[in-house]
Amino acid sequence: MPASERSVTITIREAAWLATFQDLGREQSEALGVPCGGAADQHSASVANILVGNPRNATGIEIMGGRFSFTTSKPLLISVTGAPADVTVNGSKVQMWEPVCVPAKGRVVIANAHGGMRNYLAFSGTVVADQFMGSTAPEARMGFPQQISAGQHLNLITAYAGFEHPYLTQPLFRLPVPVPSFDHPVWTIDIVEGPETDAAHGIRELLAAREYTVTAKSNHVGLRLDGPVVHPEGLGEIVSHGVPIGAFEIPHGDELIILGRYRTLTAGYPIVAFATKASLPMLGQARPGQRMRFRWVSQEEAVESQHESQRRLSLLESRVQSLFSAIDLPHHSRPVAAQEAA
Amino acid sequence: MVSIASGTAEERQTGSRKLREILLEVRPHGLLDVVAGIDSVLVEFDCLTVSHTQLAQTIRLAAASRGYEGDGPAHHGKHFTIPMVVNESFAPDLTDVAEELGISKGAVLGHLEASELNINLLASAMAPMMGRVQFPGQVSRCKEPRTNVDPGSVMVAGTNAIIQPFPGPTGWKVIGRTPLTICDIRENPPTSFRPGDTVRFKVVPESEWERLEGRFLRADSDTTKGEH
Repeated sequence: MPASERSVTITIREAAWLATFQDLGREQSEALGVPCGGAADQHSASVANILVGNPRNATGIEIMGGRFSFTTSKPLLISVTGAPADVTVNGSKVQMWEPVCVPAKGRVVIANAHGGMRNYLAFSGTVVADQFMGSTAPEARMGFPQQISAGQHLNLITAYAGFEHPYLTQPLFRLPVPVPSFDHPVWTIDIVEGPETDAAHGIRELLAAREYTVTAKSNHVGLRLDGPVVHPEGLGEIVSHGVPIGAFEIPHGDELIILGRYRTLTAGYPIVAFATKASLPMLGQARPGQRMRFRWVSQEEAVESQHESQRRLSLLESRVQSLFSAIDLPHHSRPVAAQEAA
Repeated sequence: MVSIASGTAEERQTGSRKLREILLEVRPHGLLDVVAGIDSVLVEFDCLTVSHTQLAQTIRLAAASRGYEGDGPAHHGKHFTIPMVVNESFAPDLTDVAEELGISKGAVLGHLEASELNINLLASAMAPMMGRVQFPGQVSRCKEPRTNVDPGSVMVAGTNAIIQPFPGPTGWKVIGRTPLTICDIRENPPTSFRPGDTVRFKVVPESEWERLEGRFLRADSDTTKGEH
């Protein structure tokens, strides 16, 4: 540990319904039969890390439901993103989607999430956590749950040593943060064609026109939706093949499944559409009861929207870097990437 | 998803495995990961690093140039001998399989032991999917998939065999169980086998179970000293 870094103990007081260590997932694990996993809402998880000066794929905490709270032995720089929630430091409300300074012996509470499923908590520095195949993301099926419980002590290695502002308890940062909107009761998800779109006569029109509702059987393996479906005809038995995240499967029953990051990697069900990459983070936030509509877009539009979302993250990253350098806060200095994910 | 356009089922399976090996070796620019299907390969890539058409072109070129060289990347596979115990509770589907194939239970196990199996791909949770078992016919899947099958279960469907690495649901027919641990996330890598390796099953008496239980499966060459 370099001299500028210190070890901080974080004590978990309340652990929500489910809280786990989380990052952006495994790389090159799917060729070996292990799903990449990682944060269901990759956008919120990335932004949380960027806001505290970390690399995007640093380990943070993914929180679902109920109350999550912790205390800290020393000052911390944190951020909370994801579904709208109430976040307090020593009882005072603080903003989500911003860097937040927590004083030594401070207590942080995250509660009352609404409109979405998950919150992401990032700490400036490195959270000490076990890895499996190069990632701290849970892989519960293979015996790597990564669950965090009340009373647990987490160890953080950080170069953050506190931040004094002459007038305010929380400094004001003006950063270009891409905050997704959770306000609309019906979400619009962009989709592109799948291999069996044409074989399912009428599915194109149904998906474009009708509303679908996420059911309670949904989880990190996939979202199950209520709504009208048609079954493809004349396909015969489909041989088991690899299925990507965001695939819209129609199994034998009358439901629609949108595969998540912990999907079973191969399946033999027809795929009638794919969610675009840029729309996956919102799908990772969908709760039971969430209503959605779908909008067909071209492959070019899908790539363009992904490009735009990555451009915004890169812009935020470079702004945070300049700001943190100027006010002497620690940040992960990133080699100037192939110009902002061009 | 990429698949081989023509040929018999077996040719398409071999072709897609070769293609997967080529992709993992060449690692075209922008490639993130691949998922093996029975006779196809799902290619995952970063659409901002490489366009759909560029990557498709690279894959065609890589496949074509390998075609000239013949067999593709040389993979000196390891060989594994996997002990299994067969009794009523470990092999609940053995009677069914024997009836379906029209042979005795002993003959079912005899065919399995006589087959030199090739690990075609690692399926869900690193389960080794193997072919081809020299059964006289195809084994169907369970009508009602089991909701939970114990780890170590040796299962068959069609003329393939697979071992359940972790508890979980499956529709495959269970005909025995190995006392060995085939996947352990505390090991690095978590399995000692990979696609291209070969396997032979060996039915051992139940009295062997206790001695072997929980041992991590290693290649024959790694369990016998001096063999390299």
